[in-house]
Amino acid sequence: MSEKTISILYIDDEEHNLHSFKASFRKQYDITITSSVVEAEQILNSKDFCIILADQRMPIMTGVQFFEKIRLKHPKPIRILITGHTDIGAAIDAINKGEVFRFIDKPWDYTYVETAIANAYEIYRTREDLKLRNIELQKANEELDKFVYSASHDLRAPLMSVLGIVNLALLEEDVKSQNEYLELIRQSVKKLDTFIINIIDYYKNARGVPVVTDISFEELVTEVQATIQYLPEYGNLKMTTDIDQAGIFQSDVMKLRIIFNNLINNAIKFQDKSKPDPFVHLTVKSTPTQAQIIVADNGSGIKESDQDKIFKMFYRAGATNSGSGIGLYIVHEAIAKLGGEISVSSKIGQGSIFEINIPSIAK
Amino acid sequence: MKPLLNFFLIDDSAFDLFIYEKLLIKSGITENVKTFNSAREALKHILSQGTSLPEIIILLDLQMPDMNGFEFIEEFDNLPDFLRSKIQIFMLSSTIDTRDIEKAKASPHIIDLLPKPLEVNFLKKKLAL
Repeated sequence: MSEKTISILYIDDEEHNLHSFKASFRKQYDITITSSVVEAEQILNSKDFCIILADQRMPIMTGVQFFEKIRLKHPKPIRILITGHTDIGAAIDAINKGEVFRFIDKPWDYTYVETAIANAYEIYRTREDLKLRNIELQKANEELDKFVYSASHDLRAPLMSVLGIVNLALLEEDVKSQNEYLELIRQSVKKLDTFIINIIDYYKNARGVPVVTDISFEELVTEVQATIQYLPEYGNLKMTTDIDQAGIFQSDVMKLRIIFNNLINNAIKFQDKSKPDPFVHLTVKSTPTQAQIIVADNGSGIKESDQDKIFKMFYRAGATNSGSGIGLYIVHEAIAKLGGEISVSSKIGQGSIFEINIPSIAK
Repeated sequence: MKPLLNFFLIDDSAFDLFIYEKLLIKSGITENVKTFNSAREALKHILSQGTSLPEIIILLDLQMPDMNGFEFIEEFDNLPDFLRSKIQIFMLSSTIDTRDIEKAKASPHIIDLLPKPLEVNFLKKKLAL
């Protein structure tokens, strides 16, 4: 932020003051000058300044009156008053009414002005930083609030389902049907476990230290495939891969695993069972600088109105067997952490294509 | 003989629809349970029934994708009187969030918030059976 040029508005009815100021400082600062307070107000409406300098003695209104007038509408710039007459009354007004940060005596001294501007800018920057931090903090708090709300639901709901099944099983005299209930309990417990694993992934992704290593996409994909192919919901889906890796690609294998795992699992979960040949096709093209990953399926597809929302935390598109809505959020976060991008194109009933581009991370 | 009641279950969880349909029938409180895995679908069904809609009791889940329980209540509020008068709504949810509980209590259309898992005896008491 310190590299940014400091923008200054200087108002003085004496033209030669304006010009000598500009001549002295134009190389250091971004300076706008005007001899009219009316024009100064118009300029303020169209441009943001870090610092405003104003002469005290001007026709129409004094520097203090000008500051008092603009202070509420333009609170951000730091105000400095330039005055040739040290008058205690004006000084009190300047501080109390104009909330002036500093006085500069006329005739001004180059170093003195430079220091005043440097100090004023320091305050400006600190205030801006604080504002930014506050916005970030507010966002983090809102997210946390939403997280706790949704996570408590997703942790509790499967447990309450299990309790419901147990209550039902206890009413059952026919012992044979108990197995059916046990199967439901198994599924519900698995759902809970999946959610807990997701939360751990999310946490590792958000807080964990990234470990950058050489990536073998071939190995990574084989590994992910091994964990999913025996899932009961896998069905007769056909998974094909096309991996073209040229040279060394470096990245965080943990995050890549999260990405592959979630995207492929989604393709399995949202396959269109009414189609005779459900498939998911994974393409990886990697060079020493860049990797492109494409996951394409002919599954149920995503409604257009949902496509920009699916990466949000706990957003669940209305699909019947949708999960907690955290998977794609984690994918999005992981990709962002890797400095990459993800996009989706999908047609309902036809399928979805997720495209990811990530840069190689230099160690 | 007590009259048999018609139930609509609205829940995005296939598990819960299965469990509570069975539980309601086993308890003898009803022989007629219709299940909906989305609130929007249930609303469509109610509208399509029109005057032929029987008197029903809805057990409504809260957290659902697309249209949640409270959003369903908002839509319900816009239904014509002759439909609304045939419908009694209980919210059935695992929520322990005080904001949800307060909101459910404050709604004139929700008779009560029943915690999951459903206790049929508790529901019977609420229905004064």
